[in-house]
Amino acid sequence: MRRYLLPLALIAVFATMAIFPGLIAPFTPTERFTTYQAPDKVHIFGTDDMGRDILSLVIYATRLSLFIGFASGAVAIVIGTVIGLVAGWRTDILDDLLMGATDIVLILPKIPLVIILAAYLSPGPWLLILVLGLLSWESVARVVRSKVMQVRSADFVLAARCLGFSDTYIIFREILPVVFPVVVPKFVLVTASAMISEASLSFLGLSDPTVISWGVMISDAFNHGGFIRKMWYWWMPPALCIILGVLAITSLAFLHERGAREVVQL
Amino acid sequence: MLTLCAREITHAYGNHEVFRDFSIEVAAGETVGLVGPSGCGKSTCARILAGLEAPQSGTVEFCGTDIAGMNGSGYEVFRRSVQMIFQDPAGSFNPVRTIGQSISAVLRLAGVPKAEHRAVLVEALQKAGLQDEILSRYPDQISGGQAQRAGIVRGLLISPSVMILDEPTSALDVSVQAQILHLLKEVQRERGISYVFISHDTAVVSFMADRVVRL
Repeated sequence: MRRYLLPLALIAVFATMAIFPGLIAPFTPTERFTTYQAPDKVHIFGTDDMGRDILSLVIYATRLSLFIGFASGAVAIVIGTVIGLVAGWRTDILDDLLMGATDIVLILPKIPLVIILAAYLSPGPWLLILVLGLLSWESVARVVRSKVMQVRSADFVLAARCLGFSDTYIIFREILPVVFPVVVPKFVLVTASAMISEASLSFLGLSDPTVISWGVMISDAFNHGGFIRKMWYWWMPPALCIILGVLAITSLAFLHERGAREVVQL
Repeated sequence: MLTLCAREITHAYGNHEVFRDFSIEVAAGETVGLVGPSGCGKSTCARILAGLEAPQSGTVEFCGTDIAGMNGSGYEVFRRSVQMIFQDPAGSFNPVRTIGQSISAVLRLAGVPKAEHRAVLVEALQKAGLQDEILSRYPDQISGGQAQRAGIVRGLLISPSVMILDEPTSALDVSVQAQILHLLKEVQRERGISYVFISHDTAVVSFMADRVVRL
């Protein structure tokens, strides 16, 4: 359990920042002070071009960054798991069709496609969640399908069929709980990937500029003098948050996978 | 009266033909032993008889009706009437559900009210010589003999008329084998169930079977 401590602690910190920003942040995102202030005792990370306290912005931005990451991960996991379960269970033309669709999504160049979609459609967190989720389910579907194909001829599945349980019952009550351990790390990895995609798109100016996320903060710093003025304390905190958030989430996935492998080897 | 029969069934995996034109008949209340060397297709035959796989040719009939043509209530009756007990006792239970959860699901399927589940389960387990404490255990937390008894209890909950026993004792040690065989005999005496008893152990088959068919 000790190896989970650091990533879990980091996630707990980020979760607290996301859920209770008002209790932690020294100021609200709407309070204005002198612009371009260097760090001091009152403004630990200084202020931005609009005079907002950067530390407070970082804390308030956590909610949206994590929300987009986890919600995209959830969309991808639900779609990927359902498609993987059905494709693995059915070995007929439905499997061919679903895997064909999976292969198409697999070869789509994701970031360019998201850029085009975000540029033509009105950008916003919900659109981003939908697009990132709809373009990230293919690896989940493939992994789930492989696992279902492994267990579909297992004795406990044959016993359930013999007892007269419906296909739906067998898929969701007998097979899904067995497949679930491989879904968890995929969810975490998709979430981390979505957080990076959100930051990338925000940096390119393809997200809603009126909302605050870590990516939007870096984009603001880039576009409004943060880099030219060498205000590292403006772009570094959100960048570090993205790096630490992604590292903490992916560490959990890898540790979970390693734990599962050790159990199998025993 | 014939309960279950297979007529000239043939099955192959790819180009490898497992068996050809094999026939077997099971009358009500009798035990038919099915023997043959390893790899001859006994388990495949068991799955075909249980309706879990379709033969490439030939027919499987339940009470005179081809199961391939069954649908709706006819198939439901067949599904509940023909049960299978597997060679790997623990493997026939979902590894991430407790024995109690797995068996309770069958009671729900059989339409037993939830309030009666516990009482029905405890009584059924006691008849099979099991303590109710196994209900909270996972399949890998009980012995092979306990798992096989629990598998038999689960199969009996929906009152089948035929049980296909695919080497039910081959994974168990000798003393537990004897207990399971006696339990099966007792169940047959009480309920008049037909058995298709599959084994490569001729001594066990001759103890159990009224007649023997070689694959």
